[in-house]
Amino acid sequence: MAAADGGVPAAGLVARQWPQAGESRVPNWIYTDPEIFAREQERIFEGPNWLYVCLDAEIPNPGDFTRSRLGTREVVAVRGAGGEVRVLVNSCAHRSMQFCSANRGSVKEFICPYHQWTYDLEGKLLGVPFRRGLRGQGGMPADFRPEDRGLTQLAVASRHGVVFASFAQPNETIEEYLGPTILGWFDRTFDGRELKVLGYQRQRLPGNWKLYQENNKDPYHASLLHVFLVTFGLFRLDQKSATEMDETGRHAALINQRGEQKSNDATAQMRAFRQDLRLADPRLIDPVREYPGEATVVIQTLWPNLVVQQQSNGLAMRQIVPLDARNFDLVWTHFGYAGDPPEMTERRLRQSNLFGPAGYVSVDDGEAMLLSQAGIAADENGECVVEMGGRDVASAPHTLTETAIRGFYRHYRAVMGL
Amino acid sequence: MAPGVGASAELRYRLADLYAAYDDALGEGEYERWPEFFTEACVYKITSRENYDAGLPLGLMQAESRAMLADRVAALRKTTLYAPRLVRRLIGGIVLRAIEADGMRLSASFALFQTMLNEPSQVFLCGRLYDRIVDDDGALHFTERICVTDATLIPISLVFPI
Repeated sequence: MAAADGGVPAAGLVARQWPQAGESRVPNWIYTDPEIFAREQERIFEGPNWLYVCLDAEIPNPGDFTRSRLGTREVVAVRGAGGEVRVLVNSCAHRSMQFCSANRGSVKEFICPYHQWTYDLEGKLLGVPFRRGLRGQGGMPADFRPEDRGLTQLAVASRHGVVFASFAQPNETIEEYLGPTILGWFDRTFDGRELKVLGYQRQRLPGNWKLYQENNKDPYHASLLHVFLVTFGLFRLDQKSATEMDETGRHAALINQRGEQKSNDATAQMRAFRQDLRLADPRLIDPVREYPGEATVVIQTLWPNLVVQQQSNGLAMRQIVPLDARNFDLVWTHFGYAGDPPEMTERRLRQSNLFGPAGYVSVDDGEAMLLSQAGIAADENGECVVEMGGRDVASAPHTLTETAIRGFYRHYRAVMGL
Repeated sequence: MAPGVGASAELRYRLADLYAAYDDALGEGEYERWPEFFTEACVYKITSRENYDAGLPLGLMQAESRAMLADRVAALRKTTLYAPRLVRRLIGGIVLRAIEADGMRLSASFALFQTMLNEPSQVFLCGRLYDRIVDDDGALHFTERICVTDATLIPISLVFPI
């Protein structure tokens, strides 16, 4: 278990000094330094934070399990006999072997294949072969207590079908952790209806995990890089939009309202805007309104490992799994609602073409991770400039701002002692 | 072609030519020709073994018409940002499994190799193809191609179709 000692100055790290300008500058070494990465694992991924694990819909029945990765640690989320979800570290209490090697399934108990130590769905050790030896020989010591050798369990929180866990018990409920502003957006998508998983996508990106949080907190790039979004009015900064954060700055929501493929003073500054582009089969983008209010896109970035995507009718959890300072995996779980009529499922599947490792929009972001990391790693003493929309941290009634990145780093610095 | 389903030698040659022509178009990077290999209404899907075996409908790319395939090509030519790369396909072990009322069922294995600019070639993806081909007035077209990748994990991104 890692101690949650955010705010303590970084000891043992080479004298790293955050730029004097504060959060409007981000030093390049936070994307490359293995010592920084180790500290992130300890204070962020194993600290008192609610990390996304899975959806309830993936493990609907007692005995159903799914594997998940929280930072560099691997866990198994399993539904117990009484319907409650437990999150267990995927490591046998005997020789630390990964006892679960399927991505998902259903079991009555977990049996480690190495020496067949057996655990129940609550992680309690049920049996140890030859515990009392054989014919008076061998066996575990007389004082061996199975009750002391259960699987390591995490604290678990769940809200409206989304399961979170923590290696260090947070002193906030999941609702307090998200804060009222973000909770409002969270509950808009997760309104209590039962969810249905449509499938998974995974991609490995050669970049630091924080670049992906930043990418999804940065609406400025969306209007310039993403020709597809811009041209078809799916996200554009001249449309009605907002950037909102919780009080700490660690979570954010980018909100936008769909517009038209029409030129104006803003699109004149966007090389990405293509008046001439038409879809040969317009069924690809045929969104229907399904939530109250005017927003048609809400991208939530939750500290530290989750992006919740609602773009038109495309819904996905994007789980960020750091591998080391320079690489992370992105695990996409696309979903709809259990009550969706077949036409809605079809619509969501068509729109899924925009996202994931082959997405009309997301390919741009994956490539941006590659090229950002390449530029950053070449100059660890360099720094990035983050001052679009000012140098402060404040929610804004527009998206021509990098304030959510500054908010992220204000919180990051406090936790990391940097 | 596997023996045993009663296909004539002529049909086998025609099928072999279709696969070769498809491979030639993509191998030369002539993606504009790619939709022409499909029927007007068609199913094209790249998905993972993980989703396929679990009966989950999500793919990486999915299209329901030749027009949607053309949109894919337009996007990779005009809208998508990606670092320069070459993708090479090898398709082998083509088997004609059955001739049914709605078309001929074939399967094959594929391997994709990717070469990023200034980097060595690497194995990128491999998996199985499940195809349905129809004979329309003497012209063979794919009416369904499901590409099932062995790995779910994609290194960086999948830009080009299989």
